[in-house]
Amino acid sequence: MIEFVNVCKDYPTGTHALSNVTLSIDKGEFVFIVGASGAGKSTFLKLIMHEESATSGEIVINGKKLSNMKRRQIPYLRRHMGIVFQDFRLIDKMTVFDNVAFAMRAIGAKPATVKKRVPYILELVGLSKKAKSRPSELSGGEQQRVSLARALVNNPEIIIADEPTGNIDPEMSYEIIELLSEINRQGTTILVVTHEHDLVRHFHKRVIEIDKGRIVGDTAKSDEDFDENQLLLKHGDLLIDNTMI
Amino acid sequence: MGISSFGYLIKEGVKNVWSNRIMSIASICVLMSCLILTGSAILLSMNVAQVVESVGDSNETTVYLNDDVSGVEAAYIGKDLQKLDNIASVEFYSKEEAFKEYEDVLGDEIFANLQGNDNPLPDAYHISMVDLSEYEQTVSEIMNINGVNSVSNRSDVAKQLTNISNLVSTLSFWIVLALTVISLFIISNTIRMTMYSRRFEISIMKSVGATNAFVRIPFIVEGMMIGLISSIISSVGLYFLYNLLMKIITDIIPFAAIPINNVIVYVSISFVIAGIVVGAIGAFISVRKYLKKEGNEILGW
Repeated sequence: MIEFVNVCKDYPTGTHALSNVTLSIDKGEFVFIVGASGAGKSTFLKLIMHEESATSGEIVINGKKLSNMKRRQIPYLRRHMGIVFQDFRLIDKMTVFDNVAFAMRAIGAKPATVKKRVPYILELVGLSKKAKSRPSELSGGEQQRVSLARALVNNPEIIIADEPTGNIDPEMSYEIIELLSEINRQGTTILVVTHEHDLVRHFHKRVIEIDKGRIVGDTAKSDEDFDENQLLLKHGDLLIDNTMI
Repeated sequence: MGISSFGYLIKEGVKNVWSNRIMSIASICVLMSCLILTGSAILLSMNVAQVVESVGDSNETTVYLNDDVSGVEAAYIGKDLQKLDNIASVEFYSKEEAFKEYEDVLGDEIFANLQGNDNPLPDAYHISMVDLSEYEQTVSEIMNINGVNSVSNRSDVAKQLTNISNLVSTLSFWIVLALTVISLFIISNTIRMTMYSRRFEISIMKSVGATNAFVRIPFIVEGMMIGLISSIISSVGLYFLYNLLMKIITDIIPFAAIPINNVIVYVSISFVIAGIVVGAIGAFISVRKYLKKEGNEILGW
């Protein structure tokens, strides 16, 4: 579903954000992306969403090479993805219903479809009773569930959650990841970028660690797949407990 | 794009005008001023052109005859004038006709003792020339005819008016051009402000896969709405302003001003087209710049 082959990304400022990244994420996988600030996690997500283009190498999403993709085709690529932001990015002048419906309207969904689909998704994330509330009237956890509902409403094949638990309390964080796991069980591929080790430890999922623009750990691969200097997962600055490997 | 989506986008554009009303009102005011100034410049230019044309049409040269020229001699002078190459028309204008004209304008009393043989005005011919550029040469030929006293004309006035007309047209053109650029700048800034205030929506739209056309349409509609509203108000404003100004000006300088009723329909249609086009282009410029941004760039992070 998502393939990176020797992908490098350098910014015009001279920053080498990603170096020689090769990985593959299959349909239906649940993957945590971990790494320190500035490690290259955001660039990794931007490349998947095609907000940035790779300097070299090839990225393939759903069998389509992004290097061959024309600008006008990018929106259609993104329709396969649902994005969850750390800061929720909800529009406060809209109700919860309209925030979710907005994502459908933005891709030209018919009003009747919107009317039918949004209540279903709100029920899925447990927010049926809050449909008429404004985002500012909700707790952080609830706001993130609205954000998740918005990401889900167009029935994407991949959910990309960028620090989805960064602004909510720990208990709610578990709920959000649990919800994502439930969605994953129904076949949706989930990518979660996070700093929270406890969460990663608690949910036994694939973990990809990025450091200084390189993949330095991937629980889907054996240690031998990484060179000695990069074995941070096992020997270096332990971001993740060794028991995870 | 379905009809329901299109309707939704139009509605969003109209809503934008209201939700961003302070900026909308500001740009409507500026655009209105630009349109009214543009309209005024064009109407002024049209009026000057009309005055010049009327002066040009009546570009008669008057050939005054000596006081002692008899009726027969005057008739011969008329024939001599007709023989000249550059003469288009010759019309006798008797001293009695001239007297009556003055009397009509100035009243009977002044001329009470100047009638008949006491009439001090000379007989004259009103002539017009084929080619005004040969004016000097033709005048000297006329002066060679016996019995001709003097030649007066209004060609200098016409030339000056033509120069003024050209100047006004040129000035109008530059004014219209400058005001168009200002209008574009204002509308484009307003739309940029709207886009800034709606940056979250735009970033979300782009992240869920909205096409650029879909993101763009409400802002273009907003620009067009601002242009449309401005043009309607400007048409009404110009109608009253023109009538008022022409009343004041014609009281001071009597001339046949172009009646606004004859041109208001064309002016209004031009305003509406110009307003909508400038609104759409202004919006398009801002949106195009904004749509090149991706992700957090849209939010300015």
